[in-house]
Amino acid sequence: MAALDAPPRPLVRGRGRGRGRGRGREARAAGLMTLPAIAGLALFVVTPFVLAIWLSMHYVNMQSILPPRWVGLQQYVMLFTNPAVRGQFYRALLNNAVFTVVVVPLQTGLALALAVALNQRIRGTAVLRTLFFMPVVFPMALVAVVWKLIYSPDQLGMLNSVLHLVSFGQIGPIDWLGNPHTALAAIIIMSIWQGAGLQMVILLAGLQEINPALYEAASIDGANRWQQFRNVTLPGLRNTLIFVSTVTVILAFQLFDQIYILTQGGPQDSTTTVMFQAVTSAFTDGNIGQGAAITVIFFIIVLAITLIQRRLLREEREVQ
Amino acid sequence: MFRTRRVGLAAGVACLAMTVAACGGGGSTQAEAGSGKGTITVWAHDGQPGEDAAIKQAVQEFNDAHTGVTVSLTLIPEKTYSQTINSTPASKLPDVFEFDGPSLASDVFADKLSPLTDLVSPQTLANQSSSATAQNTYQYKQYGVSVIDSGLGMYGNKKMLDAAGVKYPTSWKDSWTADDFQAALVKLAAKAPGHKALDVQENTFPGEWASYGFLPIVNSTGHRVVANNSAQDLDNPTVIAALEKFASWRDYIDANTDAQAFPSGRVALSWVGHWMYPTYSKALGNDLVTLPLPSFGEAGAKTGMGSWAWGISTSSKNGKAAGKFLDYLTSDKIVSAYTTADGAPPATNSVLTTSPLYKDGGPLHLFAEALQTPCGASVPSTSCVAVPRPVTPAYPVISQQFQNVIEDALKGGNVPSLVHKAASAINLAYQQNNNYGQ
Repeated sequence: MAALDAPPRPLVRGRGRGRGRGRGREARAAGLMTLPAIAGLALFVVTPFVLAIWLSMHYVNMQSILPPRWVGLQQYVMLFTNPAVRGQFYRALLNNAVFTVVVVPLQTGLALALAVALNQRIRGTAVLRTLFFMPVVFPMALVAVVWKLIYSPDQLGMLNSVLHLVSFGQIGPIDWLGNPHTALAAIIIMSIWQGAGLQMVILLAGLQEINPALYEAASIDGANRWQQFRNVTLPGLRNTLIFVSTVTVILAFQLFDQIYILTQGGPQDSTTTVMFQAVTSAFTDGNIGQGAAITVIFFIIVLAITLIQRRLLREEREVQ
Repeated sequence: MFRTRRVGLAAGVACLAMTVAACGGGGSTQAEAGSGKGTITVWAHDGQPGEDAAIKQAVQEFNDAHTGVTVSLTLIPEKTYSQTINSTPASKLPDVFEFDGPSLASDVFADKLSPLTDLVSPQTLANQSSSATAQNTYQYKQYGVSVIDSGLGMYGNKKMLDAAGVKYPTSWKDSWTADDFQAALVKLAAKAPGHKALDVQENTFPGEWASYGFLPIVNSTGHRVVANNSAQDLDNPTVIAALEKFASWRDYIDANTDAQAFPSGRVALSWVGHWMYPTYSKALGNDLVTLPLPSFGEAGAKTGMGSWAWGISTSSKNGKAAGKFLDYLTSDKIVSAYTTADGAPPATNSVLTTSPLYKDGGPLHLFAEALQTPCGASVPSTSCVAVPRPVTPAYPVISQQFQNVIEDALKGGNVPSLVHKAASAINLAYQQNNNYGQ
């Protein structure tokens, strides 16, 4: 989450440091002003997390009058060793990793291409920008239902009927979401379609921050379009790109809505994710402790990745 | 998004803390009788359009009758209904709620359902059909009353069956064997426009249907999905072979994404319950025939039974008023309205014998026949036809696991490993819950 902070402003920080007088008063004011945020974090992040750790050490069944039973680290041991749950858990971790590794570069790349294309002074860009941004406005639940119809397994599915038409009937209906080999890819494609618009808008804002004089200077120096992109656009977008990819990583790890609506983790766990398993363990199987243990493990993984990213981010700033 | 999840988790934890606090007492708490007047809250599942209309009208008429009791009805979508009941602490449940038959034991174990004695009238209890009473009784106490039961079988399109030269059985005694059925599928698919022959309502996956509709395959082999707090009987070569056989028919199955596979004549057979009768009979008229399910093993053809039932929550302060509403729901008038609305078998003796659909010679008499020979909790054999879903607090887990087996098997998954995985997950649930005190 810290990675999401706005880039620091050295000017402001410098002024605060320079003035000795009134520093204590400023600190008090600062403390007072951060209080709501800290209270919010404590209430909505720290407390549930501590409770999750407590729950993960117990066996708790929602649908039972029995009190929570202390089981120590058994839930964790089971997730990694018990054949009844281990398979799904490992598969969920793998699917999350595959999803992130594929989606982050593809989605960021696509968003960058769209942003550069729509940053031109040509007619109709406003309409096109709106069109590409539209999937972001729709809730994921709605988008998923629409894509369910697109991926529909029989000839009535939009994708299948288009393929049938262009291949002159050579490509028969494919069960995109029902085949373990295509299900995750299908989810990835619809997720990129839904998510790219948001990054596009952020990158567009970044593009417009770049001083046009730099492009002028570059073209006077004889740089072609590609050289301008490499040496002016990309360096100018560095911080925006880092921000965009960090957010995409976090959102990619959150993968849940489209899975819940489109595949329920199936077929044969080929699209299950860690969030999905946590929710179904707790609310379908009624095993709250196991759900809590999954979220604790997951929190540690996401924290580790965020810390690594933050480190990389800092290095980038030092280079600047 | 990140934030929202956290808030959700916090709410979950808070609700859990309440569950634990609310569940201090032992099982089978009795609802308070109360004055028998005032407003009661009712939750029902939002499922078949016919049933929805019937319950809304019943509530309207009940309120208009000014009995001193006013009903405030909330409909909750069927797909998440049982999950909603499971994750709502007993103290937050309404006075009256609907529950799916097999979740009764689990709701009693969670101390959510009150015994009905002294709350509903003795006539109401006496008029319940034997299969309904069996479903709603757990450890010698009755916790629910049913308006309807359920029937499961195969609907056929007579015109298409005759055109393909397929002979079909008409009673549970002379049902198809799995091999005969497969031969029929091959013949029918050859004649059908899309080369499909069967609909198994795949459009309603995932959900309880996959358990209700296909547990009879397991029972037909003479095995049960759970027995003696274990799923060992499920993980059995005979059961696996039967499920593999069923899954191998996937090439003949229409995905039914538009819910029109059978009524529009794309397939000749539809494996589904009574609730499709109104739609099918409207579409096919006299060409609609009702057939038994195929037999997969030595116990002969089996079918399902049991349906949604109504109970009073342990937290109700107005049990008498709630009981009056249940008396009204199970009256001949409402039961007949439900039966007409979605073709369900009535769950009361008085309507069962007079219903034009279910009486001797009626178009759905085959379903009534099955319900009259229930297997109970014993090992399924050739002497009975309708098998209830397992009555155990582990049912939510069993149902979820069995649904996964059916859905993944139809998608081409490896049946032995799917069954083995499901059986170990069910066994684990029993272990973790100390066999649910059984």
